[in-house]
This record gives sequence, structure tokens and C-alpha cells, in this order.
Amino acid sequence: MGKEELREELLKQLHEGVVEFEEDQVKEAAQRVLDEGLNVYDAVMNGLAAGMQEVGELYDQHEYFVPELLMAADALYVGLDILRPHIKMEDLGDKPKGQVVIGTVQGDVHDIGKNIIKMMFDVAGFTVHDLGRDVPLEKFVEEQLNTDSEIVALSAMMTTTMMGMEKVIKMIKEKNPNVAIMLGGAPVTSDTADLFGADGYAESAGNAVQEAIKMIGRLREMQAK
Amino acid sequence: MTDMTSRERVLKLFAREPVDTMPCFSGQGMVTVPAIDSVGIPFPQIHLTAENMAESAIKSMEMFDFDAAVVPYDMCTIPEAFGLGVSIYENAEGILFPTIPKKWPSPDEVVIPEDYLERARMPVVDGAIKLLKEKIGTTHAIGTWILGPFTLAGQLVELDVLMKMAYKEKAKVEALLDKIVDLTIDLGRHYREIGADFVSLREMGTGADLISPKMFKKLIQPRLRKIFEAWDSPKILHICGSTDLIIELMNDCGAEVISVDHKNTLSESRSKIGNDILLFGDYDGFNLPSKASGEEIQEAIKKCIDSGVDAVWPGCDIWPDVKSENMQAINNAIKEFGRVSTPAVGRL
Ligand code: B12
Repeated sequence: MGKEELREELLKQLHEGVVEFEEDQVKEAAQRVLDEGLNVYDAVMNGLAAGMQEVGELYDQHEYFVPELLMAADALYVGLDILRPHIKMEDLGDKPKGQVVIGTVQGDVHDIGKNIIKMMFDVAGFTVHDLGRDVPLEKFVEEQLNTDSEIVALSAMMTTTMMGMEKVIKMIKEKNPNVAIMLGGAPVTSDTADLFGADGYAESAGNAVQEAIKMIGRLREMQAK
Repeated sequence: MTDMTSRERVLKLFAREPVDTMPCFSGQGMVTVPAIDSVGIPFPQIHLTAENMAESAIKSMEMFDFDAAVVPYDMCTIPEAFGLGVSIYENAEGILFPTIPKKWPSPDEVVIPEDYLERARMPVVDGAIKLLKEKIGTTHAIGTWILGPFTLAGQLVELDVLMKMAYKEKAKVEALLDKIVDLTIDLGRHYREIGADFVSLREMGTGADLISPKMFKKLIQPRLRKIFEAWDSPKILHICGSTDLIIELMNDCGAEVISVDHKNTLSESRSKIGNDILLFGDYDGFNLPSKASGEEIQEAIKKCIDSGVDAVWPGCDIWPDVKSENMQAINNAIKEFGRVSTPAVGRL
């Protein structure tokens, strides 16, 4: 098998493995990517992430539901855990990748959506600090300061816990205006995000990462001025 | 209006006998902040004693002319009694509902103590129902609710773990669900015996925004059927979130009342399930009572009724921090627009 052929074959196995929740298949293919010295970043983006993208489409079409999404995520993490330590900085090129602090705000235990967003950041190459759910508001501020993350991503599924987001934004911006804060969750709209003074909002997993990258871009521009 | 009491109005509606007008009530929490403020009970305290629970329910009912009082308000009473503990957020400002701090890692580790009815806040709920019976039992209806088996299982083991295991280790999930079904049958009967006029089964973790209709049919429906077969009327099934895809399956669980939230397309649901069943729904229990304008309220309630519900219910717990004028306007609108017969219930 030629190198290109092998690449195609392994990408297909990673992709399919995610779509069909075949953790063993993903594990084997990921290991072979390393053994054969193929481009690891390519395998993550065009294998695993591409598979997850298809899963997202199946979800939108009501072919897949949350259990399927979660199982695909497990398969994806099996591959990611093997591959990620071997990604070379130069593979990432000039794409602005960074660190994210993520969590569901205090009083709110809904974390299924948050976990899906977390996975999107993971797969896109961000370093993710997951605070879990029902997270005391000050904890976001602390964790941001400790990790110097560019992004804080907040999730709330209830209209009232959503109100806590405004407080977090204020607290973080007071200490550190150069953090991009992104909101999401069913009751949140882009209007609320604006109103609360957030820097970004995404309705679903599909556009969360692009939105985050755009946010970092805007922040860098502002800092350069 | 006739001299029908609130209780008669509710019970007749459930029996599908003619009523004077549509009763205002719900099968889920409808405690309100204006009511608890007026009696000086802070939100975290309403969950903790039978007296506070009953008083907050009665006050909320009286203040806004509801036809029923409903307890409890949080989904943790049973898991807490199994030994999982509870976070009440006693010092937090604003409304935070109790949550379960830490769940079991897998279904086979769940332990159900035989005497769970005597533990934690189970006696508080019992006490509250008995107090309601004593204080308002002749005039008003008394409601309570239990989580459906899958949703309750999700309070014992993380819902995401359960959802994955429902595929990969189905037998373990089924075994837990079956235990919960038996317990639910007994608990529902117990609540009726001590004074509840109706028990709503809230299976909100099984809408199509979470699991597939196929999984609903295989894993959930047979178990709901078993519960409703064992329970006495009225048999109420509530699911919030996306229910358009499963409304026919819901109709085939042996329930006599189907309750949905505003994500449901009511008029279509009514035509799918026919007029031979009670359909309740589906105003937004947050926006309408705490945000909407008077006009929006009129419109929303009218729309529910025009779409074919037999009782206008909020789609979930009413968010407690209501504006008094909104809550009153909602109930006034229900009584006013509810004078005409609905698909399953006639008028006097
Ligand atoms: C599952 C569920 C639960 C489960 C949660 C299990 C868990 N581990 O998460 C349980 C049963 C525990 C539960 C409990 C309660 N629930 Co609940 N629950 C739901 C339900 C049915 C589905 C939520 C879900 O997981 N959806 C699937 C995921 C994939 O979608 P998602 O969360 O929206 O996430 C997507 C986007 O929003 C976005 N996103 C999410 N987060 C973020 C973050 C960022 C940064 C970005 C960019 C994007 C993003 O991307 C995600 C992926 O596409 C909803 C109804 C509904 N249909 O939304 C009610 C709902 C959220 N619950 C509600 C309520 C009221 C409660 C309770 C208070 C009930 C009670 N009386 O105790 C308790 C709350 C306890 C607490 N203190 O938190 C209400 C909230 C009403 C409101 N507007 O305030 C809802 C809307 C139901 C209703 N119809 O009213 N619930």
C-alpha cells in the first residue's frame, strides 16, 4: 500500500470508527497512524473530526440522538488520547489555538450540552479546563487567572442560572479585560449574550469553535491596537 | 358560574365529565415567590419541612386562584432518601432548585433502602400531602408527581452514562429501570392513599431532544405501560422538550392524560392522537409568568386552547419568581377562554 493509500485507509477507519462508535477500530487506526509516521494533525482533523462532523449532521437530521452523540464522543476521545500528545506545533500552523475554561454555572446541573461543546474544543486542538457543572461563579474567575486561558465558555440551561453568567462576565472583565467570554445553552440567545457583555455566542456545537476562533482573532486585533 | 368547587372542577375534568370552566392547575411545581414572600418563608426552606411545603403550596394557590396545590418542588426527594444527599443552596441568593451532589457510577451499584419512605425528606412530602388534605382537601385538588423511571434513574446514575449503557449494557439499565418501576407503582399508590387526588408521572429525560423514538419505544414505553396499568385514574404522563416525534408513542402508554411543553406542535398532536384522550399543555412556565406582557399572555393562553388542550398547563414547573400581575392574568385568561368545551371535555 502506498503512503497516500494508507493515509486514506486510516482516515476512513478513524472517521467510520467515530460515526459507528467503534472504539477498538479507532484505537487501532490511531496507533497505526503513529507507527507509520503519518501526519498526526491530519489524522485528527480529517479522520476523527470529520467523523464527528458527520455525527453532527446525523444528529441534526434526527438520525442520531444524544446517546449516539455521546458514544461517538467516546470513540473520538479514544483516538484523541492516543494522537494528541504527538501533534507537532508546526502542524497547527498559524491557526490561533488556545486554552478554554468551560463549565455550567452554579445552580445548574445540565451538562450534556456543555460536554458536547467541550469535545468540540478538544478536537479542534484547544487545551480545555473543564470545571464541570454547578460551578460557583468565582471559580471561573480563579481558573481563568490560574491558567491564563484566552476563552471562558459558560453554559446554562435554565433562565435563572443564565442570570449568573452576567455576574461571571463582570467579575472576569474586572480582573482581566482581555478574556473572551462565550455563552451557550438553550435559554441563551445572541441578544442575551450581547446584553450581558459577552464576546461570543453559539447556538450549537456546530459553530462553537469557529465562533471561538473568531473571538480570539478580534481580541488579538484589539490588543495590537 | 356554578357552585362547583375547585376540587370538583379538577376531578370532573379528569373524569371527562362536563365542567363549568377550565380549571387552573398543573402537575408540576407551581410555588411562587410572591406567595412565599408574603408568609416569610425563604425559597430553600420550602423544601425542608412539611409545614413550609404545604403552606407555600396553599399560599401560592390562594394568591392566584389555582384550583389545586402541588407538592413537592424538587426532583431530589427520592434519590436523597436512597442516600445520595442533596444540595439545597441555603445561602445562595435567587432561586436555586435542590440538586443531587454525587450519583452512583453505574446502575448495578444503586442501592434502594427498603425503608426509604422513612428517610431524608420522604416524610416531609408525606406530611405536606397530609396537611394539604387536612387544610384544603374538601375544596381544592391535591397533586403530586414522581419522575418517570428513566428520568429518576438519571438522578441516581448520570443521565449520560445511562444513555450510553442503554446501548452497550442494556441489561444493567433495564434491571435498574425495572426496580424503579416497581417502586413507582407502590409510591404512586401510597401518595393517593395519603390524600393526593392525582399523581403526574414526569418522564422528562426521554423526549426526542435526548433519546430516539426507537429507544423510547423499546426501553421506556413498556415500563410506562406497566406503571399506568397498576395505577388508578387519573393517569398522567408528562414529557417536556421535543415530543412531536413521540406523541403517538406517548398516547400508547396507557395514560389518560398527556402533558407536553411548548416545544410540541399542539394542534398536530391533537389530530394525531384524536379527541378521546385528555391533552394538557403547554405555555412557557418561565416567560409567560415572569416576562410577558398582558397581550402576550392573552394570546398564548388562547393559542393553547385553540390548539385543542383540555387544560392549559405550564410545560414544566412554573418558574417561581413570577410577576403577580402576570400569574393572575394567566389564570384569569384560562378561566375566561376556558368556558367553551374542549375536545375531550364538555361544559355545563
Ligand atoms: C435532560 C434535562 C434534565 C436532566 C439533566 C441531566 C444532565 N446531566 O444534564 C435533569 C433530569 C437532571 C434535569 C433537571 C432539571 N431540569 Co431539566 N431539562 C433537561 C432537558 C429535557 C434536556 C437538556 C439537554 O440535555 N439537551 C440536549 C443537549 C445536547 O442540548 P443543549 O443542552 O441545549 O446543548 C446544546 C446547545 O444549547 C449548545 N450549548 C450548550 N451549552 C453551551 C455552552 C457554550 C459555551 C456554547 C457555545 C454552546 C452551548 O450546544 C449544545 C450542543 O448543540 C431540557 C429540555 C430541553 N429540551 O432543553 C430540560 C430543561 C433544561 N430543564 C428544566 C428544568 C426547570 C429543570 C429542573 C429545575 C426541574 C426541577 N424542578 O428540579 C431541574 C434542574 C436541576 C438543576 N438545578 O439544574 C427547564 C429549564 C426551564 C428554564 N428555561 O429555566 C427545561 C428547559 C425543561 C422545560 N421544558 O422547561 N433536566
